[in-house]
Amino acid sequence: MSGICRSRLAEERKQWRKDHPFGFYARPEKKADATLDLMNWQVGIPGKPNTPWEGGVYKLVLIFPEDYPSKPPKCKFVPPLFHPNVYPSGTVCLSILNEEEGWKPAITIKQILLGIQDLLNDPNPESPAQSDAYVMFKKDKIGYERRVRQQAKENAA
Amino acid sequence: MSSGSMSEDEFVDSDYDDFEEESDIEYEQAEDIGFSDMISEKHRKKAYEVDFTVFPLSDILAAQASASNHVANILGVTQDQAAALLRSFKWNKERLVERYMDHAQEILDQAGVVLDDVQTRLLKRPRGFVCMICFDDSSAGPALGLRCGHVFCQPCYEHYLTQKIVEEGECRRILCPESGCDVVVDEQTIKKVVQAPVMSKYRQLQDRAYVADLDNLRWCPAPNCENAVECRLPHSSFATIVPTVQCSCGYKFCFGCGLGDHQPAPCGLVKMWQKKCADDSETANWISAHTKECGKCQSTIEKNGGCNHMTCRKCKYEFCWVCMGPWSEHGTSWYNCNRFEESSSTDARDQQAKSRASLERYLHYYNRFANHEHSAKLDRDLYMKTEKKMEEMQRTSDLSWIEVQFLKKAVDVLTSCRMTLRWTYAFAFYLARNNMTELFEDNQRDLEVAVEALSELLEKPIEREKIAELRAQVLDKTVYVGSRREVVLEDTAKGLAEGRWEFFVDFGKI
Repeated sequence: MSGICRSRLAEERKQWRKDHPFGFYARPEKKADATLDLMNWQVGIPGKPNTPWEGGVYKLVLIFPEDYPSKPPKCKFVPPLFHPNVYPSGTVCLSILNEEEGWKPAITIKQILLGIQDLLNDPNPESPAQSDAYVMFKKDKIGYERRVRQQAKENAA
Repeated sequence: MSSGSMSEDEFVDSDYDDFEEESDIEYEQAEDIGFSDMISEKHRKKAYEVDFTVFPLSDILAAQASASNHVANILGVTQDQAAALLRSFKWNKERLVERYMDHAQEILDQAGVVLDDVQTRLLKRPRGFVCMICFDDSSAGPALGLRCGHVFCQPCYEHYLTQKIVEEGECRRILCPESGCDVVVDEQTIKKVVQAPVMSKYRQLQDRAYVADLDNLRWCPAPNCENAVECRLPHSSFATIVPTVQCSCGYKFCFGCGLGDHQPAPCGLVKMWQKKCADDSETANWISAHTKECGKCQSTIEKNGGCNHMTCRKCKYEFCWVCMGPWSEHGTSWYNCNRFEESSSTDARDQQAKSRASLERYLHYYNRFANHEHSAKLDRDLYMKTEKKMEEMQRTSDLSWIEVQFLKKAVDVLTSCRMTLRWTYAFAFYLARNNMTELFEDNQRDLEVAVEALSELLEKPIEREKIAELRAQVLDKTVYVGSRREVVLEDTAKGLAEGRWEFFVDFGKI
């Protein structure tokens, strides 16, 4: 599987262009010479309708390691997101993105993005990654929701 | 090797007296065994010792094989399958057999055991097959799927399993590579797919897991030692007992936490102490006790003399060390800050004094702890020196090789006493002050004085005419130091068991 990183990513891209969930985007970055850099992707995840996240499209970069798909990509919100499971650096803390926990080589980019979308309005209070959002989520639900709605506006598509 | 090898060892133990006529080396070995035998005889007499047994790797493997063989016969499965089942039950035979009788298939699935071999063969790729890992869609080459029906190409499967085993050291539950699928990859499949070296690594991990799974077994942590030690004390008792064991390789360690011998301090206390020594909180305490920040550029400043008129070296800001206000406001009251008595300043002063006192207390214990650790390291050099000394003694006096052994023995005792002393300081740091503490400190001081006296004696140069006198003194001191150590250990262990010590922290269980 060692050499399959790029071919798998090329195939992922093909599959994505053929079909992807509504409101999402995902594309490899462009290098200086205008060729595609398959190891770094720019993606956008829309907030689910009927949640305070609605209306925003949240931008991430996906950084794939050389031993992908043995190892998961690093997923990072740019700029960092106000969310209990997102580190101050923007990195997402999610079990399927952790190689010691739930990562499996057969998980596709589509599944990752849908997984992160689910996480937005359904945070996991068991593994907080930033204190701001976590404390507010626990102690001040109304204030938390207001903050999330404002963030959605700032990230409007 | 069979499990009978232990009884052979015991046979040698009890008969060692007969070997006295043999060569020196054999004598030494026999003496070692005899010595540990003596300890086991005395076992129940000392409060600080625990019962334990040392098993060589071969015994561990044999015990594993006999357990799985037994279960294999009861359940009518192969030995490998029985082993896999036992592993998922942490080697609890009774519970496995009981549950298996009621829910055989559930138990098999959980452990990733497939009884029907047909299910695990390599498949031909089905029509329209695309491997969801590498997206290979050619129709040639083998593919593989478990009972969940998630089929991947063989090279991807192999890479996945190899990665799990070799890099992640996983041998218990390797799951199907499909996202969210919980089906466990069974051992036969693994065996079929991976290369031989990976498989042997897999077996090795299983053996390690066997010891890790059993609460009353632990590998000897000494490098290159393959023995395991069994100690049947419940883990909940380790807050009041310090379970120090000694492997047959000679290494002494704590059965509770796997660290080197840390008597008399219990595991929980050791953990707290080490954390305290490792983290930076004491550095921060020192900074708060001894320094202030420049009011303008926030540089940290330590005042090491002079008057209160400070000039920051960095930003040239002039201020008063006492009230931290700018110097210009002090007007004519040069060198005498009249704001000193204001309540806010006094509070700040108290705070500083308190933090200074707590730091000094910590440093008192830490310095002594570290000093004994350092001295124990120097003892290793002493060992070399002692060997030279022993040779010298043989040459200059009419003492025989065996008769100069007392020096080596003295160094051994010295080293172990220093280790004990070291941990008494961590112990004392957490001890709340009462009458018991004074008794403890008396014992500690007696041991320390004796240790230093012996240490001094061993460093002395040898004078030819005084060898006999030196020998008597060293022998004397060695026995005394050893007995002082026993007093400390005995007293602390009894106190722990009786709940006599009062700690101002709650370290509870590990």
